[in-house]
Amino acid sequence: MSIVTVQLGQCGNQIGFEVFDALYSDSHCPQGLCSKRENEVYQASCKERFFSEEENGVPIARAVLVDMEPKVINQTLSKAAQSGRWKYGQHSCFCQKQGSGNNWAYGYSVHGPRHEESIMNLIQKEVEKCDCLSGFFIIMSMAGGTGSGLGAFVTQNLQDHYSNSLKMNQIIWPYGTGEVIVQNYNSILTLSHLYRSSDALLVHENDAVHKICAKLMNIKQISFTDINQVLAHQLGSVFQPTYSMEGSYHYRRNPLGELMENLVPHPEFKMLGIRNIPQMSENSLAYSTFTWAGLLKHLRQMLISNSKMEEGIDWQVRPPLSGLPTLGKVSLNRELHFNTSIANLVILRGKDVHSADLGGFKDPALYTSWLAPVNAFNVWKTQRAFSKYEKSAALVSNSQFLLKPLDTIVGKAWNMFASKAYIHQYTKFGIEEEDFLDSFTLLEQVVASYCNL
Amino acid sequence: MPAHWTKETALKGRGHRSLGRRWRRVSTRSVTGRGPSRDSTGAVIGRWDPAAAARNPRKVSASCMGRRRRRVDRGAAVGALPEAIAALSRTLPAGPSPEIFRRAKFDRPEAAPALWQLLFRVLSPLSANGASAPAAQEAQVRVVKSELHSQGYPRRALAQLPEDGSQGSRELLLALAWLLARGPLLERLLAQTRVRLGDEIPLCECEALARPGPPVPRVEADGPVDIRHLQWLMGKLRFQWRKLITSQQEQCALLGKIHSYTRGCHSDRSLGHLSVAETELLRDAEGGQQLLRRLESENVRLEAALHWRRQELVFWRWMDTVLGTCPPEASQPTFVPRIPERGAGEWELVARELQALQEELRGAAEPRRAAWEARVGGWGPEWSAVQRASREAVGLELAALQRAWERGGAAAQPHGPCRLVKSDAGASGGPGLRAAQVIEVLRSREACLEAVLCQLQRQCRQELARLAGALPGLIWILPPGR
Repeated sequence: MSIVTVQLGQCGNQIGFEVFDALYSDSHCPQGLCSKRENEVYQASCKERFFSEEENGVPIARAVLVDMEPKVINQTLSKAAQSGRWKYGQHSCFCQKQGSGNNWAYGYSVHGPRHEESIMNLIQKEVEKCDCLSGFFIIMSMAGGTGSGLGAFVTQNLQDHYSNSLKMNQIIWPYGTGEVIVQNYNSILTLSHLYRSSDALLVHENDAVHKICAKLMNIKQISFTDINQVLAHQLGSVFQPTYSMEGSYHYRRNPLGELMENLVPHPEFKMLGIRNIPQMSENSLAYSTFTWAGLLKHLRQMLISNSKMEEGIDWQVRPPLSGLPTLGKVSLNRELHFNTSIANLVILRGKDVHSADLGGFKDPALYTSWLAPVNAFNVWKTQRAFSKYEKSAALVSNSQFLLKPLDTIVGKAWNMFASKAYIHQYTKFGIEEEDFLDSFTLLEQVVASYCNL
Repeated sequence: MPAHWTKETALKGRGHRSLGRRWRRVSTRSVTGRGPSRDSTGAVIGRWDPAAAARNPRKVSASCMGRRRRRVDRGAAVGALPEAIAALSRTLPAGPSPEIFRRAKFDRPEAAPALWQLLFRVLSPLSANGASAPAAQEAQVRVVKSELHSQGYPRRALAQLPEDGSQGSRELLLALAWLLARGPLLERLLAQTRVRLGDEIPLCECEALARPGPPVPRVEADGPVDIRHLQWLMGKLRFQWRKLITSQQEQCALLGKIHSYTRGCHSDRSLGHLSVAETELLRDAEGGQQLLRRLESENVRLEAALHWRRQELVFWRWMDTVLGTCPPEASQPTFVPRIPERGAGEWELVARELQALQEELRGAAEPRRAAWEARVGGWGPEWSAVQRASREAVGLELAALQRAWERGGAAAQPHGPCRLVKSDAGASGGPGLRAAQVIEVLRSREACLEAVLCQLQRQCRQELARLAGALPGLIWILPPGR
């Protein structure tokens, strides 16, 4: 089943390119550590999901590129075409000549409706190329101007026109010390609109990925390309093919659907975080070996202590003792900074994957009281190694990962709103104070729900 | 099959009577009026001594076998009963041998398991079609008992049989005959296991809706249930629903591809293209052999069914004797088939709605009628003519409305699955339904359901508003959604 990606704005387009590149490179990686036949099946599965076929055999990414200015799109198109390995469709992009001045309201209320038909037509063409559409990825930044406002509008449209298809928004959480002064307003507007029309919000935090680049990959001058590549690696390690069930060697057909069913069926809990281990520069890769026990122990602690990477984990954080009354548990969690999960999905790739012991993730203490680990925890496996890592594990978690960042953003936005700062930029284009208040209400509800796990 | 047979079973059990006497009681369907072969069969049965049979079954069977052997020269008539039963067996799924039937007449315990299994396969065909493991003996017994009960089977003795399936072969035989007598059992079973070559889609779901599924297991929650867990489960259901729709869309797209690629390949011009099964047939020789074998076995069953139809009178006469060997039963209350629970709830809903509508109508009509009559009161005799005319007009309108209602509701749709055939846009009519018609019917049904949904939502909103008004200090925050 195929996934159609909508790349929105500068952020979305740059990341989208890296994602397709990572998927392609991995599926054609010679060191898969598996039989030739299995490698072919793996390749075919990845290809069917993310690429379509053209006559001369160069795969075309199932993607629609949207931006208000032509520069980034042109760069992306040429980078893809240059590689010669895969490319974007010639007519899959939509751009305008002028920018939008980083105005969320302009992107949502003006650009959106004006270009709605053209954009939806492009998406429809891409959907028609699929034998079977599993759903959409929408890659966008949360705090930007055009990308965010337009992204919120497009997601709403997808909800109206493709109500049965799944939608996952990949949103880029801005740096805490961002440059755009209204980024908090943009963030809360984006989040609240997406919460209503999207099925899942997979959040990538710029700060976290930046640290990974600095500490784990040892990159001195971190560029956006480096960040995007780490991000793409994380996404690839989740969505590349995995076995459909324990003991089977058939690859699962609908990872997006199963992920959503396992992690985000509850309408109030849609925020997902992603962690992966190990993450290192290619040079160090050749000199490292890992055991599943070690990897999973670190991954578990990353989950519990809300650590973004495998270095600097706080090992003091422990699961609370069970048997405490729920209220007691909640306050204890907050003191210990323990990250309570609703549901988790662990994806294991590589050698001896069937010997990995996941008992640590099935501990009921990790999870909220109303969902038992048998329902809350899922694992996907494949023997085929990912991107030259002999063993790798990824975690997609619906937990309190984003509680604090969300709370911070909502707090800052509220402070600005209380003094009506910069509101005129939004009311000028049809986003009224009512809309802001609705957004605050919704997000406060989300914060409260996650808090009371 | 003698019409009196079902009634016989339904009435209170009778004591022994000589078969000769019963023979005389049968009026129009009497054996004596028939041709020579039937006559002789009747005569053979008539010579048995029912009292002796009741006293000593084994001795009787031996003696009657002996007697039968002596009459071998009577020809086809003598073997007619085992032949008829054998034909019946071949038609039924898991049909036991005629010997089992014979033993069941004398309530032999060794015949019971086979008959339990037969009844199970006949009464729950859905589970038999699947490849799941055969149910345990107790489970089979329970299913058979509950199904017969819900269909209104009158004999209490069957419900009281032990669950280990070791006894009661005669009762089971009677139950089987009752089912056969009641309705087109064989035809239904044969239709269900038909080998289908085409790509089938179900057009109407009335059969699926009429059978209530297995009883929903009631799970008692120990302690308060967290509503978040329920919301979680509802969300999972919704996702699975969406996945199902996506899979169906994929199936349609692929079927469309196969149908267009194989255009012109079918020998039958009216069809024009191959179905999936037929395409597989061409690709895979082994599959073709399997299909041939399935068709051949289906042929065997169909021929057996025809044979049975020609010979079934013999069987029914024999069943009369089986009924005769039963001990008298205590009187029992008449039975009404149980209305499936789900249906009962819907009836209540409909009844309540109807009542509400009637009251509304009465409330609207009464004052109008009173006002009219007050106005009309002073008029003269010419009024009666006007009244008559308007009554007739109203009658015509009502009749027209009723016709329109019936027409709109029950379109002439065939029941059960139909073969899907892709034809060119301009192709003129052949047999069968156009997709456009089916879509129209579905759309009108969808519109009806939407109207009902809107009304229910309106009621819910009114209820919520009432609740919200009742607690003035409370602020209601609606869930995110549009």
